[in-house]
Amino acid sequence: MEFETGRSPAIQMSPRQRWSIAFTYMLIILGLALGLNQRDSTLNLASEYSNLEAGISAKYPARWLLEETGAFIFRVRDMAHRGFNTVIEVSAAPVGSDTSERNILDQLTLQRAQVLTDYTVLAYDEFRLADDSPAISMSYSFVSRDSNPFLEGVSSIVYGLDILTVRRGQALIIAFRADADIYHRELETLRWFVQNLEF
Amino acid sequence: MLSETQIQSDRLREEGYAFLPVWRRLSLQLFLLTAAMLLIVLLGELFQPSLDAQLERIVTLASVSLPVILWLYLSVMPEYRVARPRRRLIGVAVVSALAASAIGLPLLEDFYRVGEWLPLQSVFARILGYMLTAGAIDAGLKFLVLRYMIYPRSLRVRSDAFAYAFASAVGYSAFLNIALVLQFELTMGAAAIYLLANLTIQLASSMFIALGIVESYFSDAYPLVLPINVLIAAMSTGLITALVGGFMSGSLGTAGNTDRPLFAFAMLVASLVVAMGVVYFLYSNAERREREAFASQWQSDGI
Repeated sequence: MEFETGRSPAIQMSPRQRWSIAFTYMLIILGLALGLNQRDSTLNLASEYSNLEAGISAKYPARWLLEETGAFIFRVRDMAHRGFNTVIEVSAAPVGSDTSERNILDQLTLQRAQVLTDYTVLAYDEFRLADDSPAISMSYSFVSRDSNPFLEGVSSIVYGLDILTVRRGQALIIAFRADADIYHRELETLRWFVQNLEF
Repeated sequence: MLSETQIQSDRLREEGYAFLPVWRRLSLQLFLLTAAMLLIVLLGELFQPSLDAQLERIVTLASVSLPVILWLYLSVMPEYRVARPRRRLIGVAVVSALAASAIGLPLLEDFYRVGEWLPLQSVFARILGYMLTAGAIDAGLKFLVLRYMIYPRSLRVRSDAFAYAFASAVGYSAFLNIALVLQFELTMGAAAIYLLANLTIQLASSMFIALGIVESYFSDAYPLVLPINVLIAAMSTGLITALVGGFMSGSLGTAGNTDRPLFAFAMLVASLVVAMGVVYFLYSNAERREREAFASQWQSDGI
């Protein structure tokens, strides 16, 4: 445009203009609420897992990756997260009649201290499972480094929580690990997972 | 002897020159910016220079500052040479950048956590998702900035709204670009694409918001016109954000996947041209209608 028509500003807005601003606020709030709804419906979408041999059934976040090969019954990982992938791993081990839950956790500590950098046990606590049965929990931390040295990634601090319960001569261990930055937020996922775990 | 129409036209022209023209300067900035980004992308694609990490960081940070420098030089500084300058341009840009820093980015990354659930969705779900999260947040914040800083006191002509909307887009995208460059170790070519993407997304969105404000204020349009424009602004954000990643990433093969920055560049330039073209068409149409109405009223008054 070469030139434009000037116009003195009308300080008082017309009713139409007031309504248009009010509608715009409403639209923005509606959009944000719908976005929240879409986030929750995607994040809370669950898949089911069942293993007849181990007598376990569980629900896990649908967007997480399920793996069944390894030294565990199954594990699920959040592959979308940058850095350390949040993981929940379920494994079982036979226990003798004279073995206490604490013995098993100490055994885990000894094993992990050899393979995990700066592995430190933070606390032991009691934990209540979905059926109100008692379990013992152990929280710990370690430093995670990328296995590929060529990626030149920065190490991250990882918090972990093991929940252990002994039933029918078997110890069931639910190992949960997440990046320290998102650990407390991801604990909600673990609680939901434990609530839906049957064995 | 001058005719009445000639006198009227001269008067309008004289009054119009009291305000700095927006569109030509805006087009020039976008042309220079896209040319610079294309040059960076082509350098990266053709010569694949292996720069020192420090030097690459400096180049990417310089790319971030380029839109701001161009805007200051071509839009802000000339304002002070005209009779009636737009005095709040820098204020709008700074407040928009602060809004992105304090509300926009934390809300998107920490509350909506879009990085965790949106990138793996289908294209349609991604467009809708980005529209309802990033689009609603960005458009909402920029609308609030414009509403409380310029609407209605600083609006004298239609182009005022577009000049301030451009300032808002430059400020908002500048913060997003700084955050992007500091957070990720991007190569020069990838940085150029993502910086251009952020500016395109924010500019398209801001221009539609400005169009809504202009129609609502100058034409006293129906109350739904402004929210519809804000909705289109959010949609444009959703559309471009969802598609640019797909254009940028090549197909997955056994040797991994490679970036296709030229595809992404072409898509961004097309988005920019379409968005600006649509907004300019509607703006010039409204401006022409008002000028014709003004001229016919003048003639009927017998001046």
